[in-house]
Amino acid sequence: MTSLVLTLTETLRYRGAVGQWSWVLHRVTGLGVVLFIILHIIDTSWAVFYPDLYVKAIAAYQSPLFTIGEFALVACVVYHAYNGLRIILFDARPLWWRFQQRAAMVVLAATALTLIPVFILMFNHVLKHYSDTPLVLPLGVVLLEQVPFGIGMVLALVAGLALSGLYGAVSGGKEAAPQSSRAERFWWSFMRLSGILIIPLVFGHLAGMHVVQGVFDIQGSHVLERGIAAGLEGGLPAVGANIAQVGVNSSGTAVEFVGDRWNTLVAGVAIWRLYDAGLLALVVVHGFNGLRYVLTDYTMSSPLLRRGMIFTCVIGATILLVLGSGMLVRTIDSTAIEMARNSLCRLYEENHTEVPEVLQCAAETGQ
Amino acid sequence: MDVTFRIRRYNPDIPGKNKPYWQEFRLADVDPNDRVLELLHRIKWEQDGTLTLRRSCAHGVCGSDAMRINGVNKLACKVLMRDINGSKVQVEPILGLPVIKDLVVDMEPFFGHYREVMPFFVNDEPVPANGRERLQSPDDRAQYDDTTKCILCAACTTSCPSFWANGKYVGPAAIVQAHRFIFDTRDRAAKERLNVLAEPNGVWRCRTIFNCTPACPRGIEVTRAIGEVKLAIQRGTTTGIVDISTIHIKEPT
Ligand code: HEM
Ligand code: FES
Repeated sequence: MTSLVLTLTETLRYRGAVGQWSWVLHRVTGLGVVLFIILHIIDTSWAVFYPDLYVKAIAAYQSPLFTIGEFALVACVVYHAYNGLRIILFDARPLWWRFQQRAAMVVLAATALTLIPVFILMFNHVLKHYSDTPLVLPLGVVLLEQVPFGIGMVLALVAGLALSGLYGAVSGGKEAAPQSSRAERFWWSFMRLSGILIIPLVFGHLAGMHVVQGVFDIQGSHVLERGIAAGLEGGLPAVGANIAQVGVNSSGTAVEFVGDRWNTLVAGVAIWRLYDAGLLALVVVHGFNGLRYVLTDYTMSSPLLRRGMIFTCVIGATILLVLGSGMLVRTIDSTAIEMARNSLCRLYEENHTEVPEVLQCAAETGQ
Repeated sequence: MDVTFRIRRYNPDIPGKNKPYWQEFRLADVDPNDRVLELLHRIKWEQDGTLTLRRSCAHGVCGSDAMRINGVNKLACKVLMRDINGSKVQVEPILGLPVIKDLVVDMEPFFGHYREVMPFFVNDEPVPANGRERLQSPDDRAQYDDTTKCILCAACTTSCPSFWANGKYVGPAAIVQAHRFIFDTRDRAAKERLNVLAEPNGVWRCRTIFNCTPACPRGIEVTRAIGEVKLAIQRGTTTGIVDISTIHIKEPT
């Protein structure tokens, strides 16, 4: 703990060169993305397991707080990706160290250059959204929805520490802590290899879900209105989905959107399921090993804490991988979509001036 | 010119003053060519004899006087006033090692890491027939030329955020010292040293932050040396890693 405080304050006080700040940013952006994927994987799994909750989660994603978060997320991923490449490069070619300062500046410049057009496109989605009469969940409702995640993370931490205590008691409680040099070497290579593999996957994912089609285009009455205005039967089609196979998002719910993508087959293969599986596995393992790096860096002085952090990371990654792969092998059927539609209707009833006709709610909710 | 020094003081023996605190000293008639070390001496000799610091050679050879000067690690004996922007000098002990008094830190953990990498020549093979030195080509010698320059001042190790966070990390200096032997073709213990450095608190703690390279008062390419050791561990060999075409060895004059 003292080393955490010392490191944080002295990192700000030490006048290191740009590399020090690149490292700080790399760490902060990596942790930011980890925090987001914890929320994101869990609530995406609700599309399968609890369609009504998924609808609420996406409504929260469309609220101003998450819109700010979305811009921050994209910035974090872009910076982390470019800077990750810089780290990989200089680890592979130590000889080129003379160029590292310039490379760090290039990373910053490239991040800015990438973000300008991306933010413009994303901001267009925001403008378009608020020019309709969107459903906007109040901040209080949005925050309340996040509370369970906070509790879950604390529980994971407590469980990790409890396991660590148990491990200590069984192993005699001495220095003993699981660590091996071969594992560390593996992780070092894995972080680099997975980083490179993640780049196309995550950039494709962000482009599809945040730039080409925004989070606003996947749920709400406006999705139906826009689809109808474009001459479609129902809502907008999901990005990457094959309308001929799966149709459009005719319920205007994010659940149907997800189902349409996963049901799209190319040459008999559910490409988006494979894509998401690859992204899931790489990002979770990379992200949680990164989290382990950070957490263990600051808890080296206490074997109990250090082991606890490792167990916490293992628990977190396992939960996400189980939920994530669980959702990817299920189908989203019409019952799920109907549940989602009802949930959306209720959200409109509770938080909007009126329930738009296009949603065809009245009959179903019947209250 | 007039110069103001702001020095981080700490004396565990004086009640009430056994917490670190800042103290300012003013010096008149300072020459731009004065070194920070001399000015610290002037403070000690003319103003406050209790100011405690470590130095020996005063010429950048022994590595005794590494300290944090205006925020970065330097040897006090190698920083001239004219290298410093303005007339304010802030001096603190180096980070991550226990402070004993004022600017003096306990170097023992640092030397402990140094010893871990077996910083001595290992070769039990019979000496050459003529009983003289084990010969080596200039190219082989060039591979570790840079890392022979280390004076163990700890400026690099204590500039490293990974070391601040975790004092068990062997740190840049120990890796530099290991590099000097690992890439010496006459040495026979590269494998053992690489095993030590492949431990969880070895090279993998390095996050390629590059604070250590500019901190080195001897201009050693520290991060490069660490990178070369990482590659040697990854590839399981010490050959073909150091590109000697980029190493410029000065001819003796
Ligand atoms: C987009 C492509 C990505 C690349 C190229 C990349 C690259 C890297 C590299 C090379 C490291 C190792 C740093 C080191 O050992 O010194 C790293 C660390 C890390 N990454 Fe990524 N990464 C990417 C995506 C992600 C994502 C999506 C997440 C979050 C889920 C993430 C979270 C982290 C964390 C938390 C760390 C630890 C930071 C630290 O130790 O200071 N990364 N990344
Ligand atoms: S006093 Fe010897 S290196 Fe500065």
